[in-house]
Amino acid sequence: MLPRTRKWIRIGFAGPGALIVAPVIMAGMALWLPRGAAGIDNLVIPLVLVPLIWAALFFHACLDSRLSRVAIVSLGLFAVHFGLVAHNLADAEPARTETRE
Amino acid sequence: MIHLPREETKLMVAVHGWSGIILGLLLYAVVLTGMVAVFAEEIGVWSAGHVAQGAAFERPIDAPLQKLARRTPAEFHEAVDVYEVGDRNLGLFFHLHETAPNGEVIERGINYQLDRSGRVVGEQRGTGEQVFGPSNDDALSHFLIDTHVQLHVPDPWGLLLTGILGLAMLVAAISGLLIHRHLFKDIFTLRRSASAVLVDRDRHSVAGTWSLPFAFILAFTGSFFSFYGTVGVPIVAMAAFGGSQEAFNETVYGSGEKPDPSPRITGSLDHIVADARGRIGQLPTFITIEQFGRADARVTTFHDPKAGGIEPVSLIYRGATGAYVRESPSIGTRPSVGGTLTAIMGPLHFGNFAGLASKSVWFGLGFAMCYVTFTGLRLWLVRRRDGGSALGWLERIVTVIGFGLPLALLGAAIGFFFTMPLGTAVFWTPASFLIVSAAAILAGFTIPTNGLLMRAHQIAIGALLVAMPPIRLLTGGPGWGAALAAGQPMIVAIDLMTFLAGVWTLWRLIAASRADNSNVSARLKPAE
Repeated sequence: MLPRTRKWIRIGFAGPGALIVAPVIMAGMALWLPRGAAGIDNLVIPLVLVPLIWAALFFHACLDSRLSRVAIVSLGLFAVHFGLVAHNLADAEPARTETRE
Repeated sequence: MIHLPREETKLMVAVHGWSGIILGLLLYAVVLTGMVAVFAEEIGVWSAGHVAQGAAFERPIDAPLQKLARRTPAEFHEAVDVYEVGDRNLGLFFHLHETAPNGEVIERGINYQLDRSGRVVGEQRGTGEQVFGPSNDDALSHFLIDTHVQLHVPDPWGLLLTGILGLAMLVAAISGLLIHRHLFKDIFTLRRSASAVLVDRDRHSVAGTWSLPFAFILAFTGSFFSFYGTVGVPIVAMAAFGGSQEAFNETVYGSGEKPDPSPRITGSLDHIVADARGRIGQLPTFITIEQFGRADARVTTFHDPKAGGIEPVSLIYRGATGAYVRESPSIGTRPSVGGTLTAIMGPLHFGNFAGLASKSVWFGLGFAMCYVTFTGLRLWLVRRRDGGSALGWLERIVTVIGFGLPLALLGAAIGFFFTMPLGTAVFWTPASFLIVSAAAILAGFTIPTNGLLMRAHQIAIGALLVAMPPIRLLTGGPGWGAALAAGQPMIVAIDLMTFLAGVWTLWRLIAASRADNSNVSARLKPAE
C-alpha cells in the first residue's frame, strides 16, 4: 500500500472512525457492564467514559505503527458493540409487538 | 518522561499544533468565559448589588408553598422545585414532566418568585428552560455561563460544538504530555536572556506543563457535560430501553418506590429544612418535592459537599410525614461506582468543592490555560512566519479574538450596569457585547500594524477594568460599607480585583513602551 494511502486510512480511523466507534461502544457497554449496587452503573459509566474512549481510539490510530492492528481493534470493537445493540433491539421489537397485540 | 520514537513525536507535535489551530480560537473563547464563570455566582451578587441578609431557606417557606399550591392547577403538582433566586428571594416552580417530540424529557409549569416579605413578585408559565432563563438582575452571569456552555449557538448544536472543543482540548493536553522529552526540566525552564521567541516558547511550555492535569480534567468533564444530554442519554436509552428517555430517567433518578397516588397533605417543609440543617450543618441549596400532595410524596434537600468532601450531599424525607429517610447519593438509590463518578464530574468541572479556595485555584489554572492557548497560537504563527509563510491576516484574527473577547466581556458588564436599573439588561448585556466586539473587529481592519492593534486593545481593556468599580457605584450599586455590613465582602473583593487588574495592564503597557524607547535610543547612539 502506498504511504499516502496508509496515511489517509490512519486519518480516517483517528477522525471520523473514532467519532463513530466511540458512541457505538458507549451504547454496547450499557448492555454488558454490570449494573452495580444501585442498578445504574451500566447506564452511567459509559456516559462518563465516552470522551476517554474516543481519546484512546484517536491516539491508538495515530500512534500504533501497525495499521492492520488499528483496523482490527477499531472495527472489532465496532462490530461487537454494534452486534450487541442490534441483537438487543431485535429482541425487544417482537416483545413490544406481542404486547401491542 | 515519555520517549516516543522520532516519527511519532513529529506526528504528535503536528497533532498538538493543528488541534490548537483548527479549534484554538473557539477553545480560547470557551476557556476564557469558563474561567470567569467559575465566579458566576459571586459575579451575579457583585453585578446586581445583592446586599439582602438572611438566606431564603432561613425564612418560613411552608406557608407560602401551601398557599401557592392551592392556586396552582393540580396537573403541575407532579413536582415542585424550591430555590433561592435574585436578592435572597424564594423561587417555587410547580411543574409536570413531559416528553418533547425529540424524545427529551422536559419540565413545564408555573414558576413563582416571592420577595423577602413573602409577596409574590413574579409569576411565569413555561418550560424549565424558559423559567430558569436570564432575568434582569442576573443577565450578566447568565450571559457568561451561556457563552461558556454553548457559545450562544442554538440547541443542541452549541453543546455539540463545545463538546468537540473539549475533545480537541483533550487531544492538545495528551499530545502536549507526549511531546515533552524532559517533562520535569520543562516545568522549571524559563530563559529570560534568550530570544523573544524562545522566551515565549518557555512561558508557553511552563504554563502548559503546570496546567496539564487541569486541562485534562476540564476537557474530560466539559465533554461529558456537553455530550451527556445531547447524544449520550438518547444513545444509551436507545440501546437499553428501546429509545425511552423516560425509562432511563426513572431508572437512574427515580426513587424505585411503589407509587401511592392517594391524596395526603405534604408535611412541613420548615421542619424538613431545620432537620437537614441539623444533620449536615448547612442550609440546602435546592429542594425538590416529587408527587406534591400525595401519600408517596418525596422531598430531597441538596447541599454543598461536606468539609473535605468533593461529592454534593442530598437527604431524602418522606413527604407526607416529613420523616427523615436517608442520605442519598446524587444519582441512584444507593451509593455506586457509577453514581459517584457522575456526581463528582460537576465539582471537578466547576471547582466549587472547597468554596472560594478551590474556585480561586480553578480561576488561576483557567487563566494559565487561556495563556497557553493564546501563546500556542502565536508560537505556531511565528514558526510559520519564520518559514516564509505570510499569515498576517491570521495574526490579526488571533489578536482581535485574544484581546477583543475579554474587551467585549467587559463591554457586556458595562452595558449591564447602565441598563439593569432601567430593567432592560437582558437585551443590552449581549447587545453591548456585540457592539464592543464589532468595534474590536473594526479596529482589526483599520489599525495599520498588529503591534498597534494589540496595544490599542490592551489600553481599552485596562481602561475598562479601572473604570468598572466607579461605573458600578455610579449606576446605583451598593458601596463598600453597605456591602461589608451585609456580609458580602465579594462585592469589595471583585471591585478591587478589577481595579488592580486594570492598573497592572496599563502599567505593563507603560513599562513595555519605556523599554522600547530606551532600546531605540541605545540603537541611535552608536549610529550617531
